[in-house]
Amino acid sequence: MKVTPEDIAAFADGELSGDREAEIAAAVAADPALAEQVERHKAMKSMLGAHYAPVIDQPVPDRLASMLAGSDAAEVVDFAAARQKRESRKRLPHWGWIAGPALAASLALAVFRPGQGVESSAYADAQLAAVLDERLVADQSQTDDVRVLLSFRNDEGRYCRAFSAEARGGIACNTENGWRLEATGTGNDGADTDYRMAGVGDGQILALAQEMASGPALDAAAEREAREQGWR
Amino acid sequence: MLALLPRLRRFAIGLCGNASDGDDLCQMTLERALANRSRWEEGTRLDSWMYRIMRNIWIDEGRKVTRSMQTFVAEDAGLGVGGEGAQEASVELGNVDRAMQKLPEDQREAVLLVMVEGYAYKEAAEIVGCPVGTLNSRLVRGRDALMAILGEAS
Repeated sequence: MKVTPEDIAAFADGELSGDREAEIAAAVAADPALAEQVERHKAMKSMLGAHYAPVIDQPVPDRLASMLAGSDAAEVVDFAAARQKRESRKRLPHWGWIAGPALAASLALAVFRPGQGVESSAYADAQLAAVLDERLVADQSQTDDVRVLLSFRNDEGRYCRAFSAEARGGIACNTENGWRLEATGTGNDGADTDYRMAGVGDGQILALAQEMASGPALDAAAEREAREQGWR
Repeated sequence: MLALLPRLRRFAIGLCGNASDGDDLCQMTLERALANRSRWEEGTRLDSWMYRIMRNIWIDEGRKVTRSMQTFVAEDAGLGVGGEGAQEASVELGNVDRAMQKLPEDQREAVLLVMVEGYAYKEAAEIVGCPVGTLNSRLVRGRDALMAILGEAS
C-alpha cells in the first residue's frame, strides 16, 4: 500500500477514521520513516501554534474593539446568542421538558405571537385573575373559556401560568400587585381543534414559558400546593 | 463576534505577516461582516463565515498588501508577530513570519487554518472554497515548503 504525504498529514491531524486510519496507523507503526514524518508534522503544528499564540493574548486594538462596541455590535452579539438559544431549543423536544409533567389531555393551545399586543405593565383583569388564582390544569374542562396551559416558576421564583382563551393567550406571573401579564398574544380561536395538540402556537407560547421557567412545569400536586399557598 | 476577534486577528496577522496589515484586514473584515450580517445563514458557524469573509478580502485586496509586505520583510525582518519580544526571539519569530510569507497564498491559508486555527480539513476547505483533497495537498505542500525554508535558515 502506498502511503502519500497527504495520508500522513491527515493521519497526524486526526482526519482519518475507520479502516483508512487503521491502515495508515499500521503502516506508520511498521515504518520508522513514516513515523518520523508524523512527528515532524506534529512538531510543525506545535511550533506554528506557539508562534501565533501570543496574538490571542494581546489586547485587541481599540479601533477594532470599538467597531463592535456600538449598537450594531450588540445586535450581532445578540443575534449569535439568539441563534444559540434557538439551537439549544431545537435540541430539546421543543417544549417537552417543561410541559411533560403537566401536560393534560385537555390542553388547549394558544396561537401566540410574542411581542404582539404586549403591554408590559398590564395586569390580568378580575375575571382572568380569578381563573389564574383558582383553576388547576388537572381540573379544568375542554369547554372552559380560559384554560391554564401550565404553571411554572420563573427565574425570580415567582409563580407564572401560561393560559389560553378565545380572545387571547399569554403568560402571567404572580406579583404583590396581582397577576402581571408578561406576554400576551392572540388566543386560540376555538375553531382549530385539529391544531390544539400540535399547532404552531403551542410551540411559541410553551417555548416562551420554557425560556422563562427556572425548571420544569409544576405537576398536579405541586400546582395544588402552590394554589394553597396563594401562588407565593 | 467580539469573542472571535482575537482569533480573527491571529488569522489576519498570519495571512498578512505583520500586526499592522493584519489589523487593517481585520477592520475590513468586521466592516464587511457587520454590513452583511443579514446574509449570515442561521445554523452555520459564525466563525467560519467570518474567516471566509476575511480570506476573500485578503485574496481581493491582499495582493498589494502582500507585495508591500515582501519589500517590508526584506528590509526589516524583525517586525513580525513577535516584534515586541526579546531581540533573539523576535529574530527567530521573524523567520517564521518570513517563511510564511514565502508560501503561495493558497498554501499559506491552508497551513494557517489547519495548523494554527485548528480547523478540520472539511471546515478549512469550506472556508477557502475548495475540495477537501485539494486542501489536504495544499497543506502538505505548504508545510513541506515551510520545513525547507526554516531548515535552511537554521
